[in-house]
Amino acid sequence: MTEIHLDGISKSFGETTVLERLDLAIRPGEFLTLVGPSGCGKSTLLRILAGLERQTAGHVRIGGRVVDDVRAADRDLAMVFQSYALYPHLTVAENMLTPLRLRDLSFAERLPYLGPLLARGKYRALRQAVQEVAEILKIEALLARKPGQLSGGQRQRAALGRAMVRNPVAFLMDEPLSNLDAALRVHMRSELRELHRRLRATFVYVTHDQAEALTMSDRMAVMMDGQILQLGAPQEVYDDPAHLKVATFVGSPKINTLPGMIDAEGGVTRLGLPLGRRIVGAAPGPVTIALRPEHLRLRPTAGPEAISGRLTHIENLGADLWLHIAIGDGAHRIIARAEHEMLGTCSLGDIVHVERLKGEALVFGADGARLRFEGEAAPSNDAGETAPTTAVA
Amino acid sequence: MSHALTGRYTHLWFIGPALVLMVLILLMPILIAGWLSFTDYSLGGDAPEWVGIENYERIFTRSTYEKMFGATFRYVFVVVPLSVALGLGAALLIQSLTRFGEIYKTIYFLPVMAALLAMAIVWEFALHPTIGIINSTLELGCGTVLEAWSWYAAGCARNFPLWLGDREYAIWVVAFIGVWQGFGFNMVLYLAGLTAVPRELYHAAEMDGARSAWDRFRLVTWPMLGPTTVFVVTISCIRSFQVFDTIEAFYPQGGGPSKSAYVMMFAIYEKAIQQNLVGIGAAITVCFLGFVMMLTLIQRWLVERKVHYA
Repeated sequence: MTEIHLDGISKSFGETTVLERLDLAIRPGEFLTLVGPSGCGKSTLLRILAGLERQTAGHVRIGGRVVDDVRAADRDLAMVFQSYALYPHLTVAENMLTPLRLRDLSFAERLPYLGPLLARGKYRALRQAVQEVAEILKIEALLARKPGQLSGGQRQRAALGRAMVRNPVAFLMDEPLSNLDAALRVHMRSELRELHRRLRATFVYVTHDQAEALTMSDRMAVMMDGQILQLGAPQEVYDDPAHLKVATFVGSPKINTLPGMIDAEGGVTRLGLPLGRRIVGAAPGPVTIALRPEHLRLRPTAGPEAISGRLTHIENLGADLWLHIAIGDGAHRIIARAEHEMLGTCSLGDIVHVERLKGEALVFGADGARLRFEGEAAPSNDAGETAPTTAVA
Repeated sequence: MSHALTGRYTHLWFIGPALVLMVLILLMPILIAGWLSFTDYSLGGDAPEWVGIENYERIFTRSTYEKMFGATFRYVFVVVPLSVALGLGAALLIQSLTRFGEIYKTIYFLPVMAALLAMAIVWEFALHPTIGIINSTLELGCGTVLEAWSWYAAGCARNFPLWLGDREYAIWVVAFIGVWQGFGFNMVLYLAGLTAVPRELYHAAEMDGARSAWDRFRLVTWPMLGPTTVFVVTISCIRSFQVFDTIEAFYPQGGGPSKSAYVMMFAIYEKAIQQNLVGIGAAITVCFLGFVMMLTLIQRWLVERKVHYA
């Protein structure tokens, strides 16, 4: 098991800076997800780690060894590409054999026709390895086929198999599920997770889909604009986002945000209503108050604690029911979760009232950094590895 | 009309025009050539008389035609591999350049664009035994270490080859000019093929441990260029079988020294047009069509069986 460190990685293409002095420590055997909107630099970071691209500044260390000048082929990492990148002229078995052939056989032993005669034993061992991996992935029946004859999900498995045959230091995955249809994608999430448990290898997984990050990872790193805004366990990132951008990116439906004010004593008011708790050490001024939809509850009457608005849309997902409510003359929209019993009681256009559950509001400063309430501890959060923008109030 | 369009023979109206044209300008001439090849027809002469396989018998027994096949196959077997290999090499080199690629493309493509007849005159001057630039350049090397090469020493002692006028060299020189003229075209086809190779496959090859350029070529480039290669080889073969204008420009009087550059197309022209022996010309044409047909069938088989992966 090997640790991987990225120290102060920067990358720019000409004038454009893609990554800015980024630090990341990947623990041995963990499933780490790099998640962020497209263009945030997550794929570039993965390719720098793989050695397919060279960083402008900073170092990559694998198991304590600086590998900046080690080419991708010699870093002993395996990668699964978004397009799978299987060799179309080779069968699945030959595709999976390729990394073994290139690494374990000499030039003479790789010669066509002659090679298999020279190193019969070695070839048998390699084929055995391919067979074993194929059994794990349940693709034995596909070994003789070419990639063109496979479905998307089968290609996905074949590409995984090619990565798995040679026990690499870590598996790098660049949006491996995004070419699959929705149902298969959800299914493959749990399969990949299962595979990770079984292999106990390090997985570094890049995705733009926050749901994949939340459901699969041990830790997730939320990246925006070339920086890691927050690194932590999925639940921690969801419950305790360090930045407004993290709060809005993670979670579906999106977190509700409302403008508020902070006064000289640290009291926060939202639409004229004071919150119960105080912020310490923050300058007075405008802030953003964020509330998860599941922390809002429908109530029958208006009141000082309630937010009232007009129901504009009901989103029924079967298990969940989301109410879209326009408040303050339609200037803001919030989403609240409701029980199914309410379906008959109100209809579009009605005025409805919601109240928030106590102690769940999150407050973000004008720069987007999290402002913490009095007595609310900043999370341990792998301390030094989070982004420098994390505000500790 | 409206009745005809809804009847059982409607399909004939759709395929009719194409069918008529194909029969008129492709099938008929081939069939007529096939028929003429069994006669002693000559233009303006008596009514053609059926001579059976006499024309073919001549083609496969007389030494002139043996020379014809020899010259043609020498030319094809030199020009096709060399122009394909050079075209691929040039394409790979140009693709690896970050700058000046356009300039090299233009330079290598110039011979393709130039009028071959005009270029033949230039080559004739360059290859002239006494005043040509090639032999005078070779003479500069006399008295140096190059003389260790016995061929070179012999050249210095007597004279350097006559090139186009020497029956030992003629067909090879013509083939060399064919390569020079043809590989730029193959290069352009390969450049187009290379742009279609997905970049991610090279990255996958790197991750899989393909360290040397040769490994990457074997694993990714060459297989992915398979369809292009089949096309390029077929085109080059057909073009090589068709070689005519260089021979006509260098040897208007009959196929080079001792008919050593007497290629098929020139033979057809000489027999059927210059000597008005249309029957034998038609027989050579049928042989030629046979070769082209064979190549096309091989190409189809390769395309369907081997190189298309999707």
